[in-house]
Amino acid sequence: MPSRNAAQWNTPPNSLRIDEFVDSRIYSDPEIFEEELDRIWKKTWIPLCHESEVPEPYDFRTFTIAREPIIVVRGPDNKIRAFLNVCPHRGMLIERRPAGSFMENQASGNPKHMTCMFHGWQFDMKGNCAMITREKEGYQERISRKDLGLRELRCETTFGNFVWVTLDDNNPQTVQQWAGPALECIQKNLDAEPLEIFHYHKAIIGCNYKLWHDTNSEFYHDYMHYHNRITGFNDAYFARKNMAFDNGHVVVGTFEVQYEKYKGAHSRAALSFPGLPPNQWYMVDLFPGANFNLRGSALRVDLMTPLGPDKVLIEFRGLGLKSDTAEERAQRIEHHNTIWGPFGRNLHEDLIGVAGQGTAMQAGAEPRRIIQARHENELIHDEIGMRHFYQEWGRWMNRLPSDPTRKYMEAAE
Amino acid sequence: MTASRDTIESVKETIYKSCLLLDDNKFKDWLELCDGDFTYAITAYSPEIRRDMTYFSGNREDLVGMVNILPKHNTDHSPLKRHASVYNVEVDEKAKTAQAVTSVLIYQNMLDGINSHIDSGENRLFVVGRYVDQFRLNGGAPKFVKREVRLETRRLDKGSHWPL
Repeated sequence: MPSRNAAQWNTPPNSLRIDEFVDSRIYSDPEIFEEELDRIWKKTWIPLCHESEVPEPYDFRTFTIAREPIIVVRGPDNKIRAFLNVCPHRGMLIERRPAGSFMENQASGNPKHMTCMFHGWQFDMKGNCAMITREKEGYQERISRKDLGLRELRCETTFGNFVWVTLDDNNPQTVQQWAGPALECIQKNLDAEPLEIFHYHKAIIGCNYKLWHDTNSEFYHDYMHYHNRITGFNDAYFARKNMAFDNGHVVVGTFEVQYEKYKGAHSRAALSFPGLPPNQWYMVDLFPGANFNLRGSALRVDLMTPLGPDKVLIEFRGLGLKSDTAEERAQRIEHHNTIWGPFGRNLHEDLIGVAGQGTAMQAGAEPRRIIQARHENELIHDEIGMRHFYQEWGRWMNRLPSDPTRKYMEAAE
Repeated sequence: MTASRDTIESVKETIYKSCLLLDDNKFKDWLELCDGDFTYAITAYSPEIRRDMTYFSGNREDLVGMVNILPKHNTDHSPLKRHASVYNVEVDEKAKTAQAVTSVLIYQNMLDGINSHIDSGENRLFVVGRYVDQFRLNGGAPKFVKREVRLETRRLDKGSHWPL
């Protein structure tokens, strides 16, 4: 096959349908990125963390969705709530640490309260404004604490007790309606008994968030992973089914991984999640940027936080069973780390892959067609997962992924 | 019991030798400094989830297997180099053991990590932490029996396939 000149390079193959490739500008254009934050990330449910990250009353975690700072707290009533982590007074971040407990004294405030260090305004775990320093002297009767509570966000704790938050008060769906059908395949495994987080690390990669989601959604890249070629790549592997669900989610069906074929690795059957057949592996990719990956003995959950058109924060969590003995937990952690740890076999390779894509698709680079045209009866190397994601993306953005200058709705007609 | 200066110095020399071998990716030579029951772990405390974590763990056999299989894996080839300072050596002459705490900074000398045209040749701080080592003293050079790489760094971007 000859190499191509510029005109040939820039002409899509006639044989490709418009849903079988995307324009690389959707991975780099600043205007499109800003639209994504407003139209998608501020509108959808995001699984921010696991309830075991706030195990006790007055525990908190802080996050960001679409540049909005968020705090998740467990109240004395044991209910987990989410608020904008912003003081209604002068717009200061209320809590600056990533996690902690409000049972501890703070320099500016009292225990059991969220205190803005700037001017000492305090809020309880339900977001009520509990104290305004020198309130009467400064504001007389003109404002009331009852009008100065925190901005509460819709928050649900579900599907293995993950904490889901949406910035959109008018989001028409519950988490169950949003993600339930896609997560149904592992729901019984996640809900059988309490889970507990054991792993957390983060990466900031110079690529668009969708490129990481693409990598989680397609398994054709298993050619990059020696581990997966050796432990998979049999008839059962190639029979894994991709299943598309409403709202842009995709499930990659399970098969039995042959761990013993990788030198030094062992079966994970003895520590399978409850109800999960031995050494099975489900992957659930949730629109727009989260992933539940249940591989026998360990659950990995990725959450993407887009930082820019060419920059994404990826948080990696590993979870086991709260009932684990010390020995079981250590074994589960080792299973997790062998493949998914920052010094494990596969994660490093995946991240090299998307970093390379980010390098080649920077803002201002010529628009390229990124092909997602594999059709293999919706089996493991079929790229239906990406095609399904981009159909959903097109609807939310009203931009055609293969030509983002065109309206999706008009092209669909 | 006061440890002899020679014993303390031999522990320090072994740690620094291990750093040079790891700097040069001479993993098999590094493992020769380790006894048969050697164990290795990369750990960190996460203030985010308020838990001690293990990012990697293995015994000598695991590490030999891992090193042998590295050529089959895709990897970032940007070399890692250390700056280490042995802060403390405690010797138990009676038990013939020693333990040491070493501050370590590991730098990445960029090669093919992101965009080699732009980045190659640049050094970036990769991780910050400590080596917490245990040794067996049986005459001759001390032998590592345990190394814990205790990281402060939890933003690990692409991580690494190589022992730290």
